[in-house]
Amino acid sequence: MNRSLDYLFGTAVGDRGEDAQGVISLVRQWAEKEVIGNRLDYQRNYAVLFEEKARVLALSMGLQRLALPEDQGGFGWHDPGHVADVAAVLSEVGRADSSTGVLLTMNYALFSILTRFSEGREGLVEAMTASYLDDGLKITSCVLPGPGSAGRETPLYKGRSIPALVESRDSGSTLSGANIRPFAAGLRADLFLAVCADEKGRPCIALVPGDKPGIQRGREVLTTGLNALANADISFVETEITRESLIQEPEAVPMLFTLLNLFLGGVSLGAGMNFFEILGDWSHSRVIRGSTPLKENPLCASVLADVAEDIACSRLLLEDLARLVSPSPRAWSLDTEGLYTYAVMIGARIQKGIMRAINRGMELMGSAGYAKEWHAEKHWRDVKTIQSLLCGVGAAAPVKMDTARFFYDCKEI
Amino acid sequence: MDHFDEFSRPLEYLSPLDKHLRTVLRTYIEQEIMPLRRRYDEDWKEHTLIEPAFDKIMGELGLQKALFPQEYGGWGLAGSDYIFRFAYQLCEELGRADTGMAVALAVTFWPLLVIHLEPYVNERLIAEFAPMFCSTNKAVFAANAMTEPQGGSDIENMGLLKGRTIRTTARQEGDQWVINGHKLWPTNSGGTARLFGVPCTTRPGSADIDDFAFIYVPADAKGVTQGGPYEKAGMAADKNGDIWFDDVRVPAWYRAHGPGRDAGAFYQLISFGQVASTAFLTGAMMNMYERLYEFVSTRTYRNRPLKENEAVAGIIGRIAGDIDICRILGHEAAMMGDRRNKPYGLPLVSEELVGKIRNIKDFVSDRAVENLGKAMDVLGCYGPDRDWDIEKHWRDIKIIQLWMGGKQLCQMESARYFFNCETL
Repeated sequence: MNRSLDYLFGTAVGDRGEDAQGVISLVRQWAEKEVIGNRLDYQRNYAVLFEEKARVLALSMGLQRLALPEDQGGFGWHDPGHVADVAAVLSEVGRADSSTGVLLTMNYALFSILTRFSEGREGLVEAMTASYLDDGLKITSCVLPGPGSAGRETPLYKGRSIPALVESRDSGSTLSGANIRPFAAGLRADLFLAVCADEKGRPCIALVPGDKPGIQRGREVLTTGLNALANADISFVETEITRESLIQEPEAVPMLFTLLNLFLGGVSLGAGMNFFEILGDWSHSRVIRGSTPLKENPLCASVLADVAEDIACSRLLLEDLARLVSPSPRAWSLDTEGLYTYAVMIGARIQKGIMRAINRGMELMGSAGYAKEWHAEKHWRDVKTIQSLLCGVGAAAPVKMDTARFFYDCKEI
Repeated sequence: MDHFDEFSRPLEYLSPLDKHLRTVLRTYIEQEIMPLRRRYDEDWKEHTLIEPAFDKIMGELGLQKALFPQEYGGWGLAGSDYIFRFAYQLCEELGRADTGMAVALAVTFWPLLVIHLEPYVNERLIAEFAPMFCSTNKAVFAANAMTEPQGGSDIENMGLLKGRTIRTTARQEGDQWVINGHKLWPTNSGGTARLFGVPCTTRPGSADIDDFAFIYVPADAKGVTQGGPYEKAGMAADKNGDIWFDDVRVPAWYRAHGPGRDAGAFYQLISFGQVASTAFLTGAMMNMYERLYEFVSTRTYRNRPLKENEAVAGIIGRIAGDIDICRILGHEAAMMGDRRNKPYGLPLVSEELVGKIRNIKDFVSDRAVENLGKAMDVLGCYGPDRDWDIEKHWRDIKIIQLWMGGKQLCQMESARYFFNCETL
């Protein structure tokens, strides 16, 4: 390809601060040197190399510290002013490997939430920061509201069932919930960021260390994508949590959804952009009817155009969402609900757009589209997995209900 | 609706074997294949689990004999007037469980049809190959070695290119053909097939259909080298790999029919492949419906079963409606194939038939890709979970959309017929 992704899609580097530019450039180098340049090797030895390369990124290059408080040794990218930079970093990571992007997303969401609601939790913030500063790769898993089971009523978060319940005790609280499917990484998580309901059915977030007594993990679940983040159903059996580990502020859960939609939008966008590169090479080097490069055939070119359009529009939407989340005197200001609605609406649109781009582009690649050696299929599986997980349940229906509720003031849906 | 069988199909189109085959095959599939299919992905290379299943349905149940005349131990179905409908039913049933297995079986029929379907029948070759398939209880596979490294789906674009881009050569020396070339991606390659049907050119670069040759090559012939199977996104039961033909010699009479007639017989395969592909898709979608039905009945949104929420119902209603329409279309495509010898039918070697059947396959592929994707989203965090089976079908049916020239060739064949395009 003659022109860079930055030129074609206006990718991050140009109008960011110096620090952000530096981090993004470093991550891009990691992506190209460690993963993209060694795709075949990475694919064939995925289980081992995922861990190895993720460690390089998270520990040697310090990305695990990105959202940790600056005064405690982190980079301080946990505040809303940095969300656009974080999303851009995650795009670079997603270009290489979505699982690594999801791994970092969960860590960044954790510290963004934790520091936003740090008042009265200073000790917890300090302890968690210290834990994520040490030499180990930390895996955070997220439990979100989703499908419930027929015949068993649960508290709801905007229609979605909240799978875990908190009960107050003298010294703190206990968390209970059976056979819960986390977003990812349930099998190995060092910490669970679990949406739960308090005794009044109000949604809140519990931060539960993975080694707490009372956490039971099921067998590994085989999934379409994000395979490196081994998932498993978990049960909380009267798992004790401290008072400060329970975040009951009403803004916490909407904020979690907002951040996940933004950050995972970045991860999927990155995967989409790498797919764009793969497809670009393919359409340049392969011929149709014996001699015409694919990209010079009008029908194939129209498919390529659809792919580029979906990726470019997703990129612009992601930038817009980041701007909405960042406080700026020039920006249009939304309350928590408004921001939540825009986040889930735009987040769903980004996932759909990237998925459509990959689905369409694969049409031109024939068998190379589904052969593992070309790597297109991995992006396809990973992004579809993120899309399904992020939807929660019922496909587009819950997001449509959220949208209608906000825009039309619906009361019953 | 009480059962997935109630998805519409024109009952007057059903083959005489419908009831019997459905009973026997479905019982076996539900007992032997469905419980194991979630482990097939990890078995893509060795086929430790998959091979015994193939032995049962192809060898013991005898499906691999189906085309051959009864006097050779076969079922004589290639000579019937319902071979397309039989194949549709077979592929739909198997596709419901595992489209990879379905394609491996259907593609075994593919090269054999070249010598079985009127008006292109070669009795000598039928007699030659019948024992290979009819005298064993073990699964025996055949493959069509078509795709070449440089040309992708060009070979399947016979209507336009007439074999001009084929680089695998066949040279006659005395009473033998000498074949040289490199093929990749055939279903049942990767060490599976015992017999290849190989489209070749007798004059490289020629667009004269007389120079197109379809020649049979036993997999153990001297000079045939096969690579190992490729690793793919799905369809583990279907092995694909490289095949190199290096001065491979076969008897001259292993050419299917001779100049001109080979191209005609080969062209007939395109529509058979598209009908079978449509059947794989409707079979997979019907199983998706079964699994989705269970999920939306037992899982909730707003504490009510998902299916009782109007917004979700709008999505799943459309999915089921599409399956219903696609199944009707699939049976119609199969019937078009079976009308080929009737006064009111179209010959298989016609742009009209090829265009219409490709159009149906393209339409059903699109519906399947979209609906399987939506179904995964309905399941939310369970959508990517292999235990719910839908994600497996989602991976598999994308492959079906992409093969045989994929979507774009389908669109071109349709445009050529419906708009009389002259240069596409």
